[in-house]
Amino acid sequence: MSKFRKLDFYAQQRPYELLPFKFDRLNDCEYVITNMAGEYHVLPMPILEPLISRTLPLTSELIPTLRSKQFIRFPEEEAPLQLLALKIRTRLSRLAQFTNLHIFVVTLRCDHSCPYCQVSRQSESRDEFDMTSEMADRSLDFVFMSPNPAIKIEFQGGEPLLNFEMVKYVVLEAEKRNLKEGRDLQFVIATTLSLLTDEMLVFCKQHRIVLSSSLDGPVNLHNANRPRPGRDSHQRFEEGLTKARAALGYDQVSALMTTTDKSLPHVRAIIDEYLRLGFDGIFLRTLSPYGFAIKTKKFLSYDTERWLDFYKEGLEYIIKLNKSGIRFVEQYSSLVLAKMLTSTDPGFVDLMNPAGAGIAAIVFNYDGSVYASDESRMLAEMGDHTFRLGNILEQSYEEIILSDQLLDALEDSFTLSSPMCSDCAFEPFCGSEPVYHHAMHKDLVGRKPESSFCKRNMAIFKHLIELMENDEGTKRIFMGWANRC
Amino acid sequence: MRQEATLVFDQQLYEAQVLQKAAYRAMNSLTVDIACADGKFSCVLSSNIGVEEHSFLLAVQEFKKDVIDYQLRHQLNTETLPIKNLILGLAFSKTGLISE
Repeated sequence: MSKFRKLDFYAQQRPYELLPFKFDRLNDCEYVITNMAGEYHVLPMPILEPLISRTLPLTSELIPTLRSKQFIRFPEEEAPLQLLALKIRTRLSRLAQFTNLHIFVVTLRCDHSCPYCQVSRQSESRDEFDMTSEMADRSLDFVFMSPNPAIKIEFQGGEPLLNFEMVKYVVLEAEKRNLKEGRDLQFVIATTLSLLTDEMLVFCKQHRIVLSSSLDGPVNLHNANRPRPGRDSHQRFEEGLTKARAALGYDQVSALMTTTDKSLPHVRAIIDEYLRLGFDGIFLRTLSPYGFAIKTKKFLSYDTERWLDFYKEGLEYIIKLNKSGIRFVEQYSSLVLAKMLTSTDPGFVDLMNPAGAGIAAIVFNYDGSVYASDESRMLAEMGDHTFRLGNILEQSYEEIILSDQLLDALEDSFTLSSPMCSDCAFEPFCGSEPVYHHAMHKDLVGRKPESSFCKRNMAIFKHLIELMENDEGTKRIFMGWANRC
Repeated sequence: MRQEATLVFDQQLYEAQVLQKAAYRAMNSLTVDIACADGKFSCVLSSNIGVEEHSFLLAVQEFKKDVIDYQLRHQLNTETLPIKNLILGLAFSKTGLISE
């Protein structure tokens, strides 16, 4: 007689119970289901109704998968509840640490005159658009009020190198204060690299400052998108890149691109340019509806469908590169994939819920105004002060962080209580973006069926899932992107 | 030209909220007037200005599918709401944010 019971003994006799999940149509024959922690599974369309009506046979091959991903459980099982709670807590753990990214707008002056500029830059000579040391001091008081053990200070403009003295002042002052505070302090300068000097690089090296730059593609495209006197933006970028890498280290300079109507036919050439210059990834970004992008109507120069074609073509090319052995990442996809395939939230402000405005990133403008996000100050430059939280010279940390402008925006845009979002299977991957929806719809929630943010992101989520479902090789590449160190 | 279609749903089979949610989702292509009488919901679907006939017919078809989806979501949400609250309670009871 066997010492072991037969397999039948362990077979479940009682029907399964449903755990909370959401679903949406992926295409004409499949649904995507997502659990409370954002894990997904793709189901053939005829399976969904029996699953929810609890008539799916216990012998179905799907039962173990649905159980392991906490879509269902058997009666009395407690582990799935504990696991879901743990994953939700992990996913939201970033919230407890509060603001990490502190943006200092040290000047609005700029040597470029990009038609899509989102920050309404000023000409190089107008120094009334520079931050003063008094404002910098008060902003630093604010920075170190954040309970976050990791503090990132990012210098933006305009072109921050036009007020490099203020950059130096803030860095030195922050480091002095940090001797007591002991935070993990990082500095980033967002710059076109066009005005970078050897002296600046020496300072950056001494203080471990990282450079975040802009590259829109090959010479002609970049220079057309980013006009400056001499029409040499690309040349200056490339020279600056070489110098900065030599001084700071190869991986200490990153680049971002913006898609204009001129970029649309050239996604492969843009990616090739990033490869030529030794970058290991690209962020395929759409235009935002702020600043000069609105004034010059650049924002309206292409629609969401056209941008999605651009993105999909670029992604297809990048996947092909990876399959041929060239490791290269599309960074927006990798942020989304981290949310889809892991329990961590990468903390990308546009894809956060509650919104990242103020609680993940905050902006100190050159004039002392404090804004909930970079986009909020862009709106303010257009005359809309909805997300101006206060002035650093007049209000305390508590008054600014607990202001109605911030708390109302966070509460009102919370996706789990927003129309359509609350039922959407893709909600765990998405964000609430109150500033964008206010800019476009004059409403913090916006009307999602008319929202290009919703349309664009839904299309991206579906596309990424379909790519993974249709090809194991692509799924392996995406797993690598999601789990990057 | 403005196009219209009328759909009728049995009140015993569908919730009003389900029709409202499907109507909200369809607002980019059409608007919906919902009325109830004699145990039936009557939904009058009207195309938005500039929506062509073919796009309208697709939107009507999409609306019907959404009604079925939202009814199924309603069933699922009703059944799992208590356990959802339990899981959220478990998740937020151990954040360490509040000292004992």
